[in-house]
Amino acid sequence: MSIRLGRRQFLMGSSALAAAAAFGSGPAWAQGATLRQFFWGGQARADRTYAVNDLFTAANGAGVDSSFLGWGDYWPKLATETAGGNAPDIVQMDYRYIVEYAKRNAIAPLDEYVGSALKLDGFDEDQLEGGKVDGQLYGISLGANSVAQLVNLAAFEEAGIEPPNRDTTYDDIRAMGEAFQSANVRGGIRVIADGSGSEPMLDNWLRQKGLALYTADGQLGFDADAAIEWFTLWQGFRNDGICVTAEDQALDTNGPLETTMVVMGKSAMMPSNSNQLVAFQTLMTDALTITNYPRIAEGVGGGHYRKPSMFFSVGGSSANKELAAEYLSFFVNDLEAAKVLGVERGIPCIEATREAVAPDLNAADQIALEFVANLGDLLGPLPPPPPAAAGEIDASLLRVLSQEVAFGARSPEDAGQYFVSEAAAILQRAS
Amino acid sequence: MATQVDNTASSGAGRVAPPSFWSGVWQNHAPGYLFLLPWLIGFLGLTIGPILTSFYLSFTHFDLLTAPRWAGLDNYMRMFTNDPKFAASMRVTFVFVIFSVPLKLAFALGVALLLNRGMKGLPLYRALFYLPSLLGASVAIAILWRQMFAGNGLVNQVLANFGIQGPSWISNPNTSLWTLIILAVWQFGSPMIIFLAGLRQIPQDMYEAASLDGASKWRQFWKITLPMLTPVVFFNAIIQTIEAFKSFTPSFIISGGTGGPINSTLFYTLYLYNEAFGFFRMGYASALAWVLLAIVALFTAFSFLSSKYWVHYDD
Repeated sequence: MSIRLGRRQFLMGSSALAAAAAFGSGPAWAQGATLRQFFWGGQARADRTYAVNDLFTAANGAGVDSSFLGWGDYWPKLATETAGGNAPDIVQMDYRYIVEYAKRNAIAPLDEYVGSALKLDGFDEDQLEGGKVDGQLYGISLGANSVAQLVNLAAFEEAGIEPPNRDTTYDDIRAMGEAFQSANVRGGIRVIADGSGSEPMLDNWLRQKGLALYTADGQLGFDADAAIEWFTLWQGFRNDGICVTAEDQALDTNGPLETTMVVMGKSAMMPSNSNQLVAFQTLMTDALTITNYPRIAEGVGGGHYRKPSMFFSVGGSSANKELAAEYLSFFVNDLEAAKVLGVERGIPCIEATREAVAPDLNAADQIALEFVANLGDLLGPLPPPPPAAAGEIDASLLRVLSQEVAFGARSPEDAGQYFVSEAAAILQRAS
Repeated sequence: MATQVDNTASSGAGRVAPPSFWSGVWQNHAPGYLFLLPWLIGFLGLTIGPILTSFYLSFTHFDLLTAPRWAGLDNYMRMFTNDPKFAASMRVTFVFVIFSVPLKLAFALGVALLLNRGMKGLPLYRALFYLPSLLGASVAIAILWRQMFAGNGLVNQVLANFGIQGPSWISNPNTSLWTLIILAVWQFGSPMIIFLAGLRQIPQDMYEAASLDGASKWRQFWKITLPMLTPVVFFNAIIQTIEAFKSFTPSFIISGGTGGPINSTLFYTLYLYNEAFGFFRMGYASALAWVLLAIVALFTAFSFLSSKYWVHYDD
């Protein structure tokens, strides 16, 4: 009996100890001057972000407890934390998800802080607009970005062909592809990756035709005829050896950059984004550049737009919304912070910070900045944020259908019809 | 016994009421339960709790961000009437199970028979053959596999030596699933070790008697080895079938999480994962998980029922 009591006392004692330990560290949580931040990205982005956090702490006294994950892991984790009522104070948000999060109050409207804690003087109007949902500001754009064609200059030089420029059309791509075939360099490298499964490329092509991927009320912005024309265009490219083969394209799983056609040496061009040139250049010794997506005909523009590459938003349940707004203000305004951040998240949205950043940029960053700043007649209006099911339509419909056409399991006509009907069903189910 | 003695002793004193059943249990087993507590908390909180929650969620629409909405049988209805990808993933998984499990078992048994003949360096071979099983479900092996079976990978380089132009295995919908089946068969180590242990249990005098009677090695295998081994075959078949149904990592890595090309490697678990975490349909994914549980349970029950016709225990 005495032994039992002894054990019990021991257990009680140790649990009291544990409780004391928990209380001991309690005050550190309760201080409230620490912001929790969560973003997606790689180590390079993390290093820059942490450096800015240190600057913020030095200037403001508030600490920032920051963590990051890759894109694929980021969204489940963020959704889980949000579901658990434990969302971070500062979350990195994407154009694709901002409506979903805003409508569910998972992120907070920032309008009441604008002008006080959150200073947005001189902020690019279109970038500000991109962070609004139903007229309220939910996200601060961390940089502008545009889709862009990644070009392997070295491959073009070997083939003895002029690389594409801002006037290049889809017909020109065909001519280049034929020239590439007869040049037969690098084991028969093709001029372009198979873009039929690339949602941004389809979007760009549709916009040049005056259509849209999605309408403002979240419906499909094109009909089966357009979809059939799209699949037929690429079927022709594939059959004539202009773009890469179905088997090669299937190696690109939309995952790591290493599986893309240009990095694998299968094609000299492929659809990409302006802010990715730096990342691609670190993977390759060949000189790379970016240019716009092809035009559907000479002189037709309006396909591109300056997309907010990503936002910072404030968690809807955050206890420190004002402080978080101050942080966002510091992040986009402070010139020292801007120099640290460079254009890794896209082109800064305030003229003064752009000027502060420009002198220190390397060649690849300069190209990206020039490209996004000078889109000219290629630039069209910012499309409305895509509906909630857009991710599913992209991943499980467009990409799969493009493969089915490529491997001969469906005709372009069949795929076009199916795309439109199935996309409507997916949108219906998600709403 | 000790409990009863204690009770009579205390009631014999006549001062206190006899302790209730529960306080008796507590008095005598408290330390045991206390020591059990960490496991018990884990079991209730991390196993039973999530299982029950997922059962509840399977009758809801739940996107993680907003509270679950009751949906009745919607999820189950959609699965069986209006979801081509459910059917596709089911087909892929069944093809995988039906081909990979028997092939793996046959391979494991073959190697076990070779190793059982008693050779020099046996522990080394056993370890070497077991190694792929240890590494089997790892991401590293799946990446290695991806590189071996890529268009210009090792497999095609070897084939090229024989003048054969191999397909791009992993990125061709006709061959991609087979690379995963071969990967599974290659991980034959753990059933092989169990077969080996089973083979050691077969009395040698049976073989001696059989050879005296003039039975060939082949006949000995069919008439002695295999029947004596059926309990082990049964065990391995059940374990490997369950493993095969649960298989996830190889297809996740090799197809980059897409199940492509054209859903040819869309394992059921991968589809479930994509629904849950890719498209935030936690409720539907929970329903998928319960259907998988039911299928595996059915398979296992069927195996047990059929076992009395082909599994021979020593009796």
